[in-house]
Amino acid sequence: MLEVKLHDIGEGMTEAVVIHYFVKKGDYVKADQPLVEVQTDKMVAEIPSPAEGTVLDIFVPEGQTIAVGTTLLSLQTEAVGHEQAKEQAAVTVEAEVETESEPVVSEPIGTNESKTKPQRILASPYTRKIAREHGVDLSLVKGTGPAGRITDEDVYRYVQGQQAPQTTQQEQAAQPVAPTVEHEPATVTVTKEETKEETIIPFRGRRKQIAKKMTQSLFTIPHCTHFEEIDVTELIALREELKGHGMNISATAFFIKALSLALKQFPIFNAKLDEENECIRLEKEHHFGIAVDTEDGLIVPVIKNIEKKSLRQIHEEAKALTKKALENQLSLAEMTGGTFTISNVGPLGGSIGATPIINYPEVALVAFHKTKKRPVVMENDEIAVRSMMNLSMSFDHRVADGATAVAFTNYFAKLIENPKLMLMELI
Amino acid sequence: MVVGELAHERDVVIVGGGPGGYHAAIRAAQLGLSVTLVEKEALGGVCLNKGCIPSKVFAHAAQSMTSVQHMNDMGIEWAHVAFHPGKLQQYKTKVIGQLRQGVEALCKANKIEVIKGTASFLAEDRIGVEKGDAFDVYRFRYAVIATGAALVAPAAINVDHKRVLNAYSIYGLEELPNHLIVYGSDYIALEVATSFRAFGADVSIVLESDDFVFDSSINRELQRLLKKMKVKVYKNSRITHVESEQEQVTVSLAVKEQETVSLEGSHLFVSCGLKANVDGLEIDRLGLKRTKEGFIDVNERAQTSLPHIFAVGDVTGGPALAVKAIKQGKVAAETMAGKQSEADTTFLPTIVHSIPPIASVGLTEEEAKEQYKDVRIGQFPLTGNGYASIIGQKDGFIKVISDADSEMVLGIHMMGAGAVELISSGVIGLEMVGREEDWKFPLYPHPSINEGLLEAVEALRAEAIHLPPTKQKGAVSS
Repeated sequence: MLEVKLHDIGEGMTEAVVIHYFVKKGDYVKADQPLVEVQTDKMVAEIPSPAEGTVLDIFVPEGQTIAVGTTLLSLQTEAVGHEQAKEQAAVTVEAEVETESEPVVSEPIGTNESKTKPQRILASPYTRKIAREHGVDLSLVKGTGPAGRITDEDVYRYVQGQQAPQTTQQEQAAQPVAPTVEHEPATVTVTKEETKEETIIPFRGRRKQIAKKMTQSLFTIPHCTHFEEIDVTELIALREELKGHGMNISATAFFIKALSLALKQFPIFNAKLDEENECIRLEKEHHFGIAVDTEDGLIVPVIKNIEKKSLRQIHEEAKALTKKALENQLSLAEMTGGTFTISNVGPLGGSIGATPIINYPEVALVAFHKTKKRPVVMENDEIAVRSMMNLSMSFDHRVADGATAVAFTNYFAKLIENPKLMLMELI
Repeated sequence: MVVGELAHERDVVIVGGGPGGYHAAIRAAQLGLSVTLVEKEALGGVCLNKGCIPSKVFAHAAQSMTSVQHMNDMGIEWAHVAFHPGKLQQYKTKVIGQLRQGVEALCKANKIEVIKGTASFLAEDRIGVEKGDAFDVYRFRYAVIATGAALVAPAAINVDHKRVLNAYSIYGLEELPNHLIVYGSDYIALEVATSFRAFGADVSIVLESDDFVFDSSINRELQRLLKKMKVKVYKNSRITHVESEQEQVTVSLAVKEQETVSLEGSHLFVSCGLKANVDGLEIDRLGLKRTKEGFIDVNERAQTSLPHIFAVGDVTGGPALAVKAIKQGKVAAETMAGKQSEADTTFLPTIVHSIPPIASVGLTEEEAKEQYKDVRIGQFPLTGNGYASIIGQKDGFIKVISDADSEMVLGIHMMGAGAVELISSGVIGLEMVGREEDWKFPLYPHPSINEGLLEAVEALRAEAIHLPPTKQKGAVSS
């Protein structure tokens, strides 16, 4: 019997949530076949089977958070009798021979039939053709069709979400070559790598997660983005005034608070579309995701219950979460449960507008761009130098319409242009 | 001999003109490649010249013989019915000739260069062809090895092709055996046994195992029908010695490896094992990977361990069936042309042109019960099928196996009229991952044997119309 444990998948993670099992008790699995999907703070990972065998038992239910080292399931591996042990030895030898003849073999050779009957693939011939044309190994694709049948869509989804296994395979293929450096084949392979002009960046971990989420969002939500410019001169003055009192509150904190106030007027943007039950659920609580740019890519920590928090609290929490994000120390709880997302790209300089992708399954996202001094025609027809900031707001056009979105940003603009108005909302 | 300097340049060189080879050749030509096909004997290979086609000529003639009685019943009468094996040989030769000309014409029409000669590999991209005194060298981008396999008789038996015959020589007989002893349990042995029995020969079957190789229900029905035909079956028996004389053969059988039984007959037919035809090809020079049994190891694209050299058909081992060779041949050609192609034999239909015919695809009941927790069985006898009564062929049944959990159909087994044609409905359904309703929803032509398939699927849930409830219950719980 073999126990499959949650092993350390790097990046200093100590725990993970069991998202989904690809197998059930009694299933027969091949070596390297994905068994279970787990999500850590930073990524979703598949745990492959260490060996061929049958799933004996599953110990951890889906949805549970477990620490590294916890046993997830047990496998009954094939009883290795005397004869089989011999055969396996023979296979290993053959495999090595294959590696030696590598120089001319560009693709791995699948082994021939003989004893084992071919495994049934639950996909129609047409779907199988699509898979072949995309280089997809159907044994790795989970079928969502009737009776677990793999549909065309399953294959396309796999192609979009999971480019990574190919990279992994390449790596694995490279491994057995490495120890046999004295053989010519290895040298040939290395030369090939060197002559390649492109640089290879591994597409997994957070990058792959981002790709998966973005694809899901953009393929699900009909995005609509509108732009607005906001006069932040008064807000800057207020912040200066507060600094005089020893309080340094970031502009972001004001934006978050003002957006929360606007969401009270327009709760449709703090909602989730439940297509299955044909309804839109308005969320009472305002949990704001804040996009943070880290070395490994975008990450979105969440400040909970903005509607109950003061500007100072929001400022402090945003600061703490951003720091944690940059140091890769966010817990899973600090990254989930958002109802609305903001992205403040202003401090990065540049950027006068964007078409941000909504953080699925939320309904809207607002991005703030760089504040610049610009000549503005005031109400009395005089030209004044004002601090102007652009914002871009993407929303789910299935849930809301453009007029509502404009009304929403107008309300927000009013609060930011006259920050004292926010006083009126004090509870 | 100046090797290399005067090489002819070709996209593809194919060695062997059997079904695997000529399908690869034509498909490659269709896809725009220049093709040379080397064959040392006759186009069409074993299948056309010695195997599938000759045996099916005999099977067809035998089936026609059995319908004579039925014709009488319908008022079509002859004064005298006789069978002349010599005339059947002429018919066989004519059919083979026509089909071979057809293949030759197709190769020509597709601008395939066909060379009669013997090929041997000189290097990874060169092959030499010896034809009489000439020796030509071809340089290829891709090569296909489609050289087939040769019959290997059990060690104790010397096949003399006069009294002791194999799958090729049996269909060359110009006289009808008095008593034919058939040694083997595979489809060829069954075809030989039932064909020659229908012509009027006495037939005995000697099985090494304790049963035939099909689904248990078919094995059972087969035994009943063989008994009805007065064919004696010796089980668990191994031939230890054969005495071939002028007029008869005497066979010594070890029954259950204990008692020895002596059996006399006029002829002995022996089912054989296979050995890859690779002698003289010089493939070991290329280091092509071989299986334990010596066949050429290939992947699902029919590529050998050298990806630009393909091997198709019997030379690759596995089931020695033309249907596999044909598929591999096409897949090889498509792969060369850069297409993503694949051969998968999971749902390879197995057919026997016996009397009555047998056809089967997917899992047997025994295999299904090993792999699935809860298995449903639906079985429908052709006695309940109207069209089977009309044509007077009521022997046999159709059996369907499904997974009770998902309702997915796992296997279909048929014995009886129309089985060989009807099995395609099973193959397509299985490839489409069909479930019970996928067979129940469509309309079936009436009256026809097709309806038997529908009723077998319906019988999975005791819903077959032309079967009493008691019988269906029995079938479900079996």
